[in-house]
Amino acid sequence: MTEENIIELREVSKTFGSYLAVDNLSLNVRRGEIVVLLGQTGAGKSTVLNLIMGTTCPNKGQIRVAGFDPYASFKALKGRLSVSFQTDRLLPWRTALENVELGLLILGRPKNEARRSAREWLGRVRLDGADNKYVHELSGGMRQRVSLARALAIDPEIIFLDESFSQLDHVTSKTLRGDFLQIAREFRKTCLLITHRIDDALEMADRALVLSPPARVALEVRIDDQARSSSRAMADLHAQIASAMGAERSTDH
Amino acid sequence: MSISAAAGQSRIQSGDAAKIAKPLAGFAGAWPNAESRRDIVATVVVVVLLLAAMEVTSRFVPDYIMPSPVAVWNAARELFFTDPYHVAVTLVRLAISVTIAMTVGVLIGLAMGMFTHLRAYLKAVVVIDTGIPALSWMLIAVFWFKNPEARIFFILLVILLPFYALNVYEGVRALPKELVDMIESFRPSRWQVLRYLILPHIVAYVFLTTKSVIGYAIRMVIFAELVASAIGIGARMNLAQSTFRIDQVLAWTFFLVILNVALQAFVNGLEKLFLKWRAEATVR
Ligand SMILES: Nc1ncnc2c1ncn2[C@@H]1O[C@H](COP(=O)(O)OP(=O)(O)OP(=O)(O)O)[C@@H](O)[C@H]1O
Ligand SMILES: [Mg+2]
Repeated sequence: MTEENIIELREVSKTFGSYLAVDNLSLNVRRGEIVVLLGQTGAGKSTVLNLIMGTTCPNKGQIRVAGFDPYASFKALKGRLSVSFQTDRLLPWRTALENVELGLLILGRPKNEARRSAREWLGRVRLDGADNKYVHELSGGMRQRVSLARALAIDPEIIFLDESFSQLDHVTSKTLRGDFLQIAREFRKTCLLITHRIDDALEMADRALVLSPPARVALEVRIDDQARSSSRAMADLHAQIASAMGAERSTDH
Repeated sequence: MSISAAAGQSRIQSGDAAKIAKPLAGFAGAWPNAESRRDIVATVVVVVLLLAAMEVTSRFVPDYIMPSPVAVWNAARELFFTDPYHVAVTLVRLAISVTIAMTVGVLIGLAMGMFTHLRAYLKAVVVIDTGIPALSWMLIAVFWFKNPEARIFFILLVILLPFYALNVYEGVRALPKELVDMIESFRPSRWQVLRYLILPHIVAYVFLTTKSVIGYAIRMVIFAELVASAIGIGARMNLAQSTFRIDQVLAWTFFLVILNVALQAFVNGLEKLFLKWRAEATVR
């Protein structure tokens, strides 16, 4: 592994029973890079994320995250990565604030420090005042934001977001994306984001990968500031991604 | 521990979450709605009819067969002044033995859920235990223990333990895999998984079990006292029987029925307090 690549997948395959979900996927993410995975539903995006997280074991191939095999050396990555899942996955018996604290407590931070920092993060996702609400008292979008705050609160090197902004209303989503990008760039976080919205991908990504089932890279594009400053280039990229996503859709049966 | 040993698919093997969509949300809801008002009215009607039947029967048969409700009431008033100590003894025994059975049962249930290699053995022990009649345990306890308190705690422990163990095991199996993966993503220690995920999750199952065994537990304590002790409600009922005081036996019986209802309500109250985070689901 080169020093640059903090995430490295080499010819990784994953099957569920007889179903091939990831087929010979290779992919690298450099330190500080923001990579977006796009793809139709069922393309295997979440599965790729689980493999990189080390919660799922590949059937074939090699995965390295910060130099470790995330599945075999599970504990070695403690505190270095965190994830906001596609579904909020909040603990229903904990309040919003206590949910945000969770990662910090697991990392062994003192109780009062964890509380302070959790409160700060709730504010950053614009949920001040929801501290003591239980999960069932929060709206879907609020839950997603609590989940985002929980992931960010431990200040990880690598952040995975699975459709974290997709379910929010337009304005909140835009604000949070802006806030998130600022944090990510400022602290040079490595981010792997999953979304089905092409516009979100174009706004946030240094590099976008379109996956087509079973998790093959159908298209890879770089998006730099030069491209961002030209609306024609952006429209062009948009069309390319759309057609890659559409093309795979036509192979869907 | 299956929580990190499961190969292949996922780090944690939790049973199908959907399997136990138990009616956990049953006792939610505001005080008396139409449904529960109807229940209360029905209960009152049944009680009145029973008392009337007693009264009528008592006119035709001797007192030692069926005393009138008034005689039973008088016996109850008398016991109220002479026997509160025995009631207290029984309640303390009940509280201690249920606590012991709960603790041991939860530990065994957790071990069944978390240690794959122990699971089959523990399951076998629990299943065999379930098959041993309560009466056998009572007799065995008399042989094994001299101390009456030890006898009672032992009997209640072996009788109630399987309920707690099996339900807690089901609870661990019903942990949503999504939550397990979520907490695992923070790379916690086993103790942290237990503390932040498993224990809070099984509280509902412990309450469910307690609610379903509390009536049984009261009967078993009384029974054990009758066999193994000179104090407590069971011992007093034994005495009433041997002195031909059927009025006292009936007075105790009514008291035990009311006690059961009161304890159910108490456990329900505790449950609401502990599970206040639960959405109050109302099914139409
Ligand atoms: N644990 C599992 N067992 C069996 N099949 C699975 C499992 N997880 C995922 N799959 C299958 O793998 C494929 C990819 O699933 P995945 O969740 O990675 O898709 P996705 O790209 O994240 O889709 P979406 O955009 O809808 O979230 C799907 O066909 C799914 O049915
Ligand atoms: Mg997904």
